Amino acid sequence: MALNTLEFHVKIDEGTKSIDKPVHLGVVGSGDMEVLMEPKDLKGAVSIKLVTPVAGFDELWKRVVETFVSETLLGDVHLEINDNNATPAVVLLRLRQAFAEATGE
Amino acid sequence: MSTNGTEKKWDRRSADTAERMAAAARFIGPGKQFKPEDTVALLEAVIRPGDRVNIEGNNQKQADFLAESLNKVDKSKIHDLHMVQSAVPLPVHLDLFESGIAKKLDFAFGGPQAGRVAEFIRDGKMELGAIHTYLELFSRYFLDLTPKVSLICAYKADKKGNLYTGFNTEDTPTIVEATKFSQGIVIAQVNEIVDELPRVDIPADWIDAVVQSPKPFFIEPLFTRDPALITDSQILLAMLCLKGIYGEYEVKRLNHGIGFLTSAIELMLPTYGAELGLKGKICTHMALNPHPTMIPAIEDGWVQQIHCFGGELGMEKFVAARPDVFFVGPDGSLRSNRAYSQAAGQYACDMFIGGTLQIDKYGNSSTATANRVAGFGGAPNMGSDAHGRRHSTDAWLKCGAEQPTLDRTLGNMPRGKKLVVQGVETFGEGRAPVFVEELDAWKLAKNANLPLPPVMIYADDLTHIVTEEGIAYLNRAPDIEARMAAIRAVAGYTEIGLKADPAETKRLREQRIVMTPEDLGVDRKRADRSMLAARSIQDLVTWSGGLYNPPARFRNW
Amino acid sequence: MPKWNDIQEQSFLESDARARAVGLVDEGTFTELAGPFDRFYSPHLETLGEAVEFDDGIVTGVGKIGKTPVFVISQEGRFIGGSVGEVGGAKMVNTIRLAVEFYDKLVAEHSDLTDEEKPVVVISFETGGVRLHESNAGLLAHAEVMDQLQKARHKVPVITLIGSKVGCFGGMGFVAAATDAIIMSEYGRLGLTGPEVIEQEMGKEEFDSSDRALVFRTTGGRHKYIMGDCNVLVHGKVADFREALGKLAGLPVSEFEKMRRIGSPELVEKQLKLVALAAEMQPKDARDVWAKAGNADAATLDSKPFDEFVASVKRLEV
Repeated sequence: MALNTLEFHVKIDEGTKSIDKPVHLGVVGSGDMEVLMEPKDLKGAVSIKLVTPVAGFDELWKRVVETFVSETLLGDVHLEINDNNATPAVVLLRLRQAFAEATGE
Repeated sequence: MSTNGTEKKWDRRSADTAERMAAAARFIGPGKQFKPEDTVALLEAVIRPGDRVNIEGNNQKQADFLAESLNKVDKSKIHDLHMVQSAVPLPVHLDLFESGIAKKLDFAFGGPQAGRVAEFIRDGKMELGAIHTYLELFSRYFLDLTPKVSLICAYKADKKGNLYTGFNTEDTPTIVEATKFSQGIVIAQVNEIVDELPRVDIPADWIDAVVQSPKPFFIEPLFTRDPALITDSQILLAMLCLKGIYGEYEVKRLNHGIGFLTSAIELMLPTYGAELGLKGKICTHMALNPHPTMIPAIEDGWVQQIHCFGGELGMEKFVAARPDVFFVGPDGSLRSNRAYSQAAGQYACDMFIGGTLQIDKYGNSSTATANRVAGFGGAPNMGSDAHGRRHSTDAWLKCGAEQPTLDRTLGNMPRGKKLVVQGVETFGEGRAPVFVEELDAWKLAKNANLPLPPVMIYADDLTHIVTEEGIAYLNRAPDIEARMAAIRAVAGYTEIGLKADPAETKRLREQRIVMTPEDLGVDRKRADRSMLAARSIQDLVTWSGGLYNPPARFRNW
Repeated sequence: MPKWNDIQEQSFLESDARARAVGLVDEGTFTELAGPFDRFYSPHLETLGEAVEFDDGIVTGVGKIGKTPVFVISQEGRFIGGSVGEVGGAKMVNTIRLAVEFYDKLVAEHSDLTDEEKPVVVISFETGGVRLHESNAGLLAHAEVMDQLQKARHKVPVITLIGSKVGCFGGMGFVAAATDAIIMSEYGRLGLTGPEVIEQEMGKEEFDSSDRALVFRTTGGRHKYIMGDCNVLVHGKVADFREALGKLAGLPVSEFEKMRRIGSPELVEKQLKLVALAAEMQPKDARDVWAKAGNADAATLDSKPFDEFVASVKRLEV
């Protein structure tokens, strides 16, 4: 019954960019999540560590993060997420908000 | 005239009623009043096995005392009743079937009892006539489902038996008209009996007996949504709706289904709506209960007229103080009327917008789940294109004109179309996908032996779907393949959405059949609660100048 | 994180723990201690398979208001109801401990310190008390916080703020009552046993927890202000709390003795008088007590506009 931890990498081929500063965003309320977004030398990749009580959505998480990375062209960034059953819409919202804060965009 | 020596009788119904009322006469005193303790005996006197009976069960006010009394009758005397009533929200409505007093049900809305309805049908305790829409059921009251006895409720009666139904008139006039003018029997429970009524809503000669119930009838504030609970995702959807639909079609006459999305839209008229320059161009006429979240838009001068299906607890003083907007009687209080408002929603509105639990890959939607016969209330009336409509408005014409293949059925004849919009997040509570391969309604049809899966809004009526991914303009799709592709394009990360082909989605965006927030110029980053004109119930009280008096359960101060 | 200026205009009720912590002190002065990047989450929740949070639902740090160093503790109600477990409890304990140690050091090094240069602790409560998933550790944390409050006594004022959704209940209700001063908004609630628990134990007839008007007139800010359980009642913005906090922050620590609820023979006597009054009156509703306090309009007091309420209300004297 322990928490599920999911770790994976996403890498896109085009010119990626990292973030200026580490940021933390979000509250692990019901149906919500928090994320730490930190610059890290990963040879252009994005690494993700996700902790969630809900099992069985591994593919969904990968697709959502891939969407986020390909729309932001993010690279050399480490993401850590604590999730409490956030929907994909909420996940993308929080990731985009964190990205905006980290880049000032 | 006589035929074969037997005289043909033409007054059997009234004779039957007279006979029943004679049996009940000993309980009924001056002003048609009877005592609460005689209620069960009176019902046993006027009801016969197999009768068609209506217990006024609106979605708001409930003839709860009469319902409970009916449940106490001797079932060797009264059994196998055929209940015809719009809603069955109280446990006692279902208890009647448990005990065998009632056998058959024709209704429109199950509410909290939806699970038991499904269970009783499966176990053979209940025979289901049909799940109707409100107007459909009301229509049948006047043709083939006319009640013999109706048990109704009102706020007040006077000493003659006239009734005041006031703010929550709802279904009462329809039920009484159908019953009394077919020589049936109408029995009313009232909260109090007074010397003089504020106004007469139902005349005494349409009523057979009146009882002051031991406690006021049950009524629930079903149409209050606390602005504090509106989420950023709902605000994003509301921004898309306002810019991509309300503004795009300049929708003036409409109905809002109840939900947090429509509440968000209501609360964003004075903010985002004003910013888009839409004041006076949208939402001027509405068929709507008095939603508290409409207060800011009304106070800000957006709305010219609202007709109400029912009332809403706490809105009495506000509505009475805005007679230019609401329908109020000579006494100054609202008169709601579900039948007329549903008719307005179906025929006079250019748009319906609401939510649902599931949408299938074709665009059919339903709130039915595998084990709940919930019914749909008014949504299917308002959420359907009114084929009998002949008057035109700009929004209706534009929506119709955008249909690329209208000529296949109409030749060169132009025709408008009602905007029927479903606004949903792609995943609902507990990460349940809203977009599905097959509706749970199919499973329910199997489990409860229904002849058809209960569909709230059919795909051919649905014109727009709004999700966090964008808007699918289904009315602009040339064929069912394009419709299904447009649905996939806005279905996000659901299994349906994952089947979307990026190249096809790109083509649909170029043809404006699908538009993303970016295509529409909606800035996702602005989707937060600062968009709301009121962020709490207390803000609504302030907007109303103290006229709105929220029910206790919504207070947080 | 919204900008500091925007946080000031935000509703305190809707602000998360971090926004409150940042917004309560002067712009740009807040430094978070044991923050999310330190990843001190609950090992107990992890074992139980429950969602964790990097700060365990409590934001701690230090900032300044004017010349006053302010040690901040801010609880997050959206994470498991703001419940206090081992990690969050330790963060509370050590924040107060740091404040006291800092005070001792300052006083030893600077004989000419003014009152406004001495540190205060502020706790923005949003909690139902002990986190049941880690009950023993959570209970122990409550006791340790109480212990720190005693150590801070006569040195570092501890000021309570209550105006968040969950309110302040359970063991943390005791903790709040033991602090030096309490600032509330009318949306804040303070009590020991939460409304739902009272209903569960005593029945709906005794206390209907779905009747929110009843809940608020029994535990809400307006009632607590009349009863003297809360010292200052403020409007609902973060700036309103910050302003009230600023007024208290520079006061000499001796001034706080008058604001306390417990901690001296006189205060015990006062509390006993309240108990005697309750026994004599047998009030059926908070409104009975409001009337006793001299409010002729007790029946409508909770519906009055806020400013009118504050201007005209009579508080209970015993």
